[in-house]
Amino acid sequence: MSWIIGVDVGGTFTDFHVYDDESGDLRIHKTPSTPDNPATAVLRGLNELAQDMGGDLTAVSRLSHGTTIATNAMIQRRGGKVALLVTEGFRDLLEIGRQIRPHMFSFQQDHPAPLVPRERRLEAAERVLYDGTVHRALGAEAIERAVDEVRDSGAECLAICLIFGFINPDHEQQLRDAIQTALPDLQISISSEVQPEFREYERLSTTVLNAYLQPIMASYLSEFEDRVGQMMPNATLGINQSAGGLMTPARARQLPIRTALSGPAAGVVGAIDAARSAGLANIITLDMGGTSADVCLIRDREADVAYDRWIEGYPVRIASVDVNAVGAGGGSIAWFERDGLMKVGPQSAGAHPGPACYGQGGTEPTVSDANLVLGRLSPQGLLGGGMALDEAAARQALEGAAARLGMTIERTAHGLLGIVVANMVRAIRTISVERGHDPRDFVLLPFGGAGPLHAADVASALGISRMLVPPAPGILCARGLVVSDLREGFVISRLTPLTAASKTDIAANLAELADRAAAWFDQAGVAAAARETQYSLDMRYIGQNYELQVELDGNGDGEGSSLEVLHQAFFAVHERNYGYHNPDDPVEVVNLRVTAIGRLPSPDSAPAAPGTGAATPQGQRPVWFDGETALDTPVYDRAALGAGHEFTGPAVIEQLDATTLLGPGDRCRVDEAGNLVVEFNHD
Amino acid sequence: MTEVVSEHVMDAPDPITLEILRNSLRSITDETYIALTKAAYSTNIKERRDHSTALTDAQGRLVVQAENSLPIHLASMLGMMEELLDKYRTEDMVEGDIFVANDPYVAGGTHLPDVNLAMPCFAGGRLLGFVCNIAHHADIGGMTPGSMAGGMSEIYQEGLRIPLVRLFAGGELVQDVFDILLLNVRVPHERRGDYFAQVAACRLGARRLGELSERYEPAMLARSFDAIMDRTEARIRDGIATIPDGSYSFTDLLDNDGMGTVDIPISVRVDVSGRDISFDFAGTGGQMKGNFNLTFNATQSAVYYVLKAMLDPDLPNNHGLIRAVGITAPLGTLVNAEHPAAVAGRANTSQRIVDVLIGALAQALPEQAVGAANGANVTAVFYGHDPRHDRPYVYLETLGGGFGGRFTKDGKDGVQVHITNTSNLPVEAIEAEYPLLVESYGLIEDSGGAGKYRGGMGIRRVVRPVGHETVFSGMGERFVHHPWGIFGGQPGATGRFSVQGPNHNDETLPDKPNHVPLSPDDALIIETPGAGGYGEPSERDPEALAADYRSGKFSAEYLAKHYGFNPPTEQD
Repeated sequence: MSWIIGVDVGGTFTDFHVYDDESGDLRIHKTPSTPDNPATAVLRGLNELAQDMGGDLTAVSRLSHGTTIATNAMIQRRGGKVALLVTEGFRDLLEIGRQIRPHMFSFQQDHPAPLVPRERRLEAAERVLYDGTVHRALGAEAIERAVDEVRDSGAECLAICLIFGFINPDHEQQLRDAIQTALPDLQISISSEVQPEFREYERLSTTVLNAYLQPIMASYLSEFEDRVGQMMPNATLGINQSAGGLMTPARARQLPIRTALSGPAAGVVGAIDAARSAGLANIITLDMGGTSADVCLIRDREADVAYDRWIEGYPVRIASVDVNAVGAGGGSIAWFERDGLMKVGPQSAGAHPGPACYGQGGTEPTVSDANLVLGRLSPQGLLGGGMALDEAAARQALEGAAARLGMTIERTAHGLLGIVVANMVRAIRTISVERGHDPRDFVLLPFGGAGPLHAADVASALGISRMLVPPAPGILCARGLVVSDLREGFVISRLTPLTAASKTDIAANLAELADRAAAWFDQAGVAAAARETQYSLDMRYIGQNYELQVELDGNGDGEGSSLEVLHQAFFAVHERNYGYHNPDDPVEVVNLRVTAIGRLPSPDSAPAAPGTGAATPQGQRPVWFDGETALDTPVYDRAALGAGHEFTGPAVIEQLDATTLLGPGDRCRVDEAGNLVVEFNHD
Repeated sequence: MTEVVSEHVMDAPDPITLEILRNSLRSITDETYIALTKAAYSTNIKERRDHSTALTDAQGRLVVQAENSLPIHLASMLGMMEELLDKYRTEDMVEGDIFVANDPYVAGGTHLPDVNLAMPCFAGGRLLGFVCNIAHHADIGGMTPGSMAGGMSEIYQEGLRIPLVRLFAGGELVQDVFDILLLNVRVPHERRGDYFAQVAACRLGARRLGELSERYEPAMLARSFDAIMDRTEARIRDGIATIPDGSYSFTDLLDNDGMGTVDIPISVRVDVSGRDISFDFAGTGGQMKGNFNLTFNATQSAVYYVLKAMLDPDLPNNHGLIRAVGITAPLGTLVNAEHPAAVAGRANTSQRIVDVLIGALAQALPEQAVGAANGANVTAVFYGHDPRHDRPYVYLETLGGGFGGRFTKDGKDGVQVHITNTSNLPVEAIEAEYPLLVESYGLIEDSGGAGKYRGGMGIRRVVRPVGHETVFSGMGERFVHHPWGIFGGQPGATGRFSVQGPNHNDETLPDKPNHVPLSPDDALIIETPGAGGYGEPSERDPEALAADYRSGKFSAEYLAKHYGFNPPTEQD
C-alpha cells in the first residue's frame, strides 16, 4: 500500500482525494472545515480516513496540500508587521501606486490603505540605472543606517525593493545580508527574488505582500509539518501554487504569495486530469460554487499562465493559472438597478443565511431559489446532503421580483438564470474570444457544486457542442492535488531587441535559465526522466508596453529559436490577440522564462464499473426549460450509472456533490472513466 | 439566449432581455478598449489609458461606452457623430469605411491630440450603428513637441487639424490621407502604430456587433438601444429629483492663460426644479489668447461628470444622460470658444469647471460634495534627441495631486482627480525608454488643506536629463489660486515648476513654461497642487492628527498652526 492524498481546504468543507498507488483504489472524503485553524480539519480528516481504510498512515507517501492560509490572511488583514526599504526618493511609491482612483466617478471609493504605514517605509541611499550600472553606490554608512532604522521600526518582516533591482540585485542582496545578520529573526523578502521583473510599483507591491504573509505562513507550516511528520513519517509534503503544481514547504515559507491564488489552480489541474481520462485536450472549465464562478481555457492540456493579478485590491505579479472569476454562484442574489434592469450578483447569500430555499432565514431571491422553482434542483436537496429545500420559501422570495416585472414566478426565475448565465458567458468570452480562441472548438468541463447545473445553458449561448462532467465534480480540486507535479518558474527580465546582434544575449540568457532549472531539479531530487522544461519569451513591438507570452519549442537553442522562428511565433500570437501584425516593425524581448516541472508518478484513473442493462431513471419530475411550460423529466442517480450507459435528455442527473441538467435532445453517454460525455442539441 | 429574444421581438424588450443584451454590448466596448490599450504605441494610450471606446446607434447617439472610458471623451464622441451625420449621408457609407477626425471646430473634437475614429456597422444592408474610439496621440504636430504645452494662441499652432474624412474607404486604406496624417507629426512610426491600433479596435467592434446582429434582429437591437437610453434618462432624473429645488451659484478663478490674462472667472448658476436641472455659465470670462479654452462639448463633459459622480456614480454613460440636462454657455466665452481659439490645455479648465460645479452644488448636496481638488491637469513634456539610440523622443506625462476632503473621510493623496484618471508611467519604463533620470517621486509635506477631514496631498517629481540637453514645456494650474476647502476646511497648497542647477538656484519657472532648455546639471522639479479640506480643523480627530504627525506627511509647525497640535514628547 502506498497512498497519495490530496487535501483541499474550502470555506465550508475540507475535501480529500486518496489513491492507493498499488491497488488503484480510490477514496473521497469530506470533513467540515475549521477556519480558525485549518490544520485541525486536515488532521482530523486524515485520521478519519485512516480508520475508514483500515490502514495506518505510515503508508502515505505523498500529501499534497492546497492551503487558504495566505488568501484568508489577506482578506482578514492578519499578516505581519512589515517594514519597507526602497531607493531614496521613493518612499511614497507604495502609496501613490499608479496615481489612479479605483472608480472613475466615485468620490468615495478608495484603494485599500498600504500594508506598510509611511513611518515604516524607509529609504536607502543608492541608485541603479536601467542597464544595471550603479549610479550611486550603496555605502557602508547607508547599510548601517538601514539596519538601525529597520531595527527601530519594530517590524517582524521586511520587504526590500530598489529601482532596477531586477536588473542588478547586488544592492538588494547586500542590504538583505547585512540586516539578516543583525536581525536573525526578521523575515525578509527582496524583490529580485520574489518577482524579478520590470515595473517598480507592481514588483514592490508583490514583494510587500509576500513579506506580509511570511510570518503567518511560517507559523502555520511549522505546526503542520510537525504534526504531519509525526502522523505520517514517510510522506513528502507538497504545497499547491497559484500557477498549479507543488512546491516544498520551505519554498512556501519563502514565497507565501505564490499560494495566495492557489485555490482555483487545483481545480484546473483536476479538470485537465479528467479531460485526459476522456481523451480530450481542449476544454473550457466552469467552476461554479456558492458565490462565484471561475472559468479557464485549456489548450493541449495546458492552462495559460497569467502574471498580472489583484489580491484584495493590491496588484501583484505572480505566475497563476489564468482563471477569470465572476460573481455568479448558487447564492448570488437578484436585485434591481436604479434603472429598473434586473441584475444577479455579485452579492451572495453565502452559506449563512444562504438562499431562501435553505430555510435559514434568507429572504432574497437567489440562483438556487430559481433552480428549485424550475424543478432543476430537487426539493430533497443534494443526495445524501440531508438538507431538504423549501420550495415555498423560494417562491416567496421570487414573488416581489415577479410582481415588479409583471411576469410569472417561473418566467422570472428563468430570466434570473438567463442573467447569471450571461454573466458567466461574458467571463468565458473574455478568456476565449478576446484572446483569439473560438469557444466552439472546446469542450465545456463544468465542476463545483453548481457548474453542471448551468453548463448546458452556458454552452448553448456560446455554441459549444460538447460537455464532460467528471465523476465527482464537487471535489475536483482535491483530485487535482493528487495529480499535481512539482513546479518552479525562473525569469530573467532584460529588454533585448530581437536582432541578429542580440541573438547571442538571448541565447546566453536562455542558457542561464537552463542552468537554474537544472540546479533546481538536482536540489529537488527529480530523476532525469521526470524532468520537463518549458521556455517562453515575453515579447512586444518596440514602443508597445504590453508583452505577449510566446512559447518556444524545445529549450530555445538551435533551430527552435532562429530569429525567423521567433519573429513568426510572435507575429502569430500578436495576430491572434489583436487581429493584426506588422512584419516590418522591430520586436523586442522583455522577459525570458523557463518553467521547470518535476513529473510525479500519478495514478491512472480507475476504470468505472460497467453499467448493467439500460440506464434507468429513478423517477421523474416537471422541469422548466423555458419560462412557459414544464416538461416531465427523468431523474437519474449518478451512482447507478455505469460505463457504457446512454440516454437522451431532458434529464436531471443527481449525485452526492452536484446536479447535472440536460436539455431536450441532449445525448449523454458514460465513458470508461465514469465521466458523463454530453452532446448538446442546440436548436 | 436566442429563445428569450425571439419571444419578444415585437414588444418593447423586458428588463431581463435588456440586461442580457446590455451585457453583450458592454462586452464589445470593453473588448475593444483592451485591444486598443494593448496594441497601441503611445505611452498616453498603452500605459496611461488616455482613450475611450463606444457604440452608437444609427443616429449617432451614444448607447454604450467602455467601462474605463474617460469622462472628457463622452461629449467628444457625441460631437464627432453629430458632425459626421451632418457632413455625410448614411446612404453613401459602406462596409469597411472608417472616418477619422480631431478638429474641435468642424469635427466635434475637444483638442487636437485626441484622434477620433468611427466605423459604420451594417446588418443585412441596414445601418446598425457606429463603433468609435478616441485615443490621445503623444504628438499631433504643431509648434510644440507633444502638442500640449502652453504658449499657443491659435488652433493652427497646436497641430494638424483633421476634418472628418475617410481613412478607410470600403476596407481600403486611403493612403493619400494617411500620408498627410503621418507627415505632420514628430514621431511618425509610433503614430502609425497608434492609428493601426485604433483601426484594429474599430474592426473588432464591428465584427462583434455583426455577430450580435445574427442573434438579435436589427429592429429589435434598435428598440433596445432606445430603451437603454430611456432608462438611463429616467434614472438620472430620479437622482436630480433628490436635489432640493433652487438656484445655486459659484465662481472660481483660473490662474492665467499663460499669455498675459490673469484671474479669469468661471461662473455657473445651477437651477433645479423637480426632475429638471440646468446649468448657465453666464459671467464666465471671454475666450482666452492662451490655449485653455473649451469647445462646448468639452464643457458638457464636465457637467455630466459632476452630475454622475454626485448623484449616481454607476449610471451608464449614454445619450440618456446627455438629453436630461440643460446647458447654456455664451458663445465666445472660454467654456464655448469660437474658432480659432487654442484649446490644447482644456483639461486644466475642465478640472476647474468641475470644482466650480461642486462648489455650487455643495449648498444642496453637502454629503456628496468635496473640497476643491488640485484643479489642474499638470502636464510635463520633454523633447530631445536620445543619444543612446540616436533618435528624437517626446515624453509627455500628466501628474495627479490632491483630491478634496470628504464628508466622512480625508481626501486622497497623490491621485489623478475628476475628469482624468490616467496612470503614471513607471520610473523603470521612463528611464529605459528615454534618456532621463527620475530622482524622486513622492508626496509633498503640508500640501493637504486642514480640516475635520483634510485635503489630499500634491506630488513632487524630480527629473534630470542624462547625457544630453532636453527641452521642457509644461502646463500648470492652481499654481496661484489655492484649492479651496469647504464648510470650514482650509485651502491646500499650490503647485510649482522649478529648476535646480548651477545656473538656476531653485528658480521658479512660469506656470505655463514653454521650451525651457535643461542640461544634465539641471534638475527639473514638478510640484502639483494639494486639495482643500472638509469641515472645521478644530473638529479633527486627535488620532488622525497624531497619524498626520507620525507619518511625516505634515510638519509639527503646520499642525500647530492649523490645529493647535502639540507633538508628543520624547518619553511617550
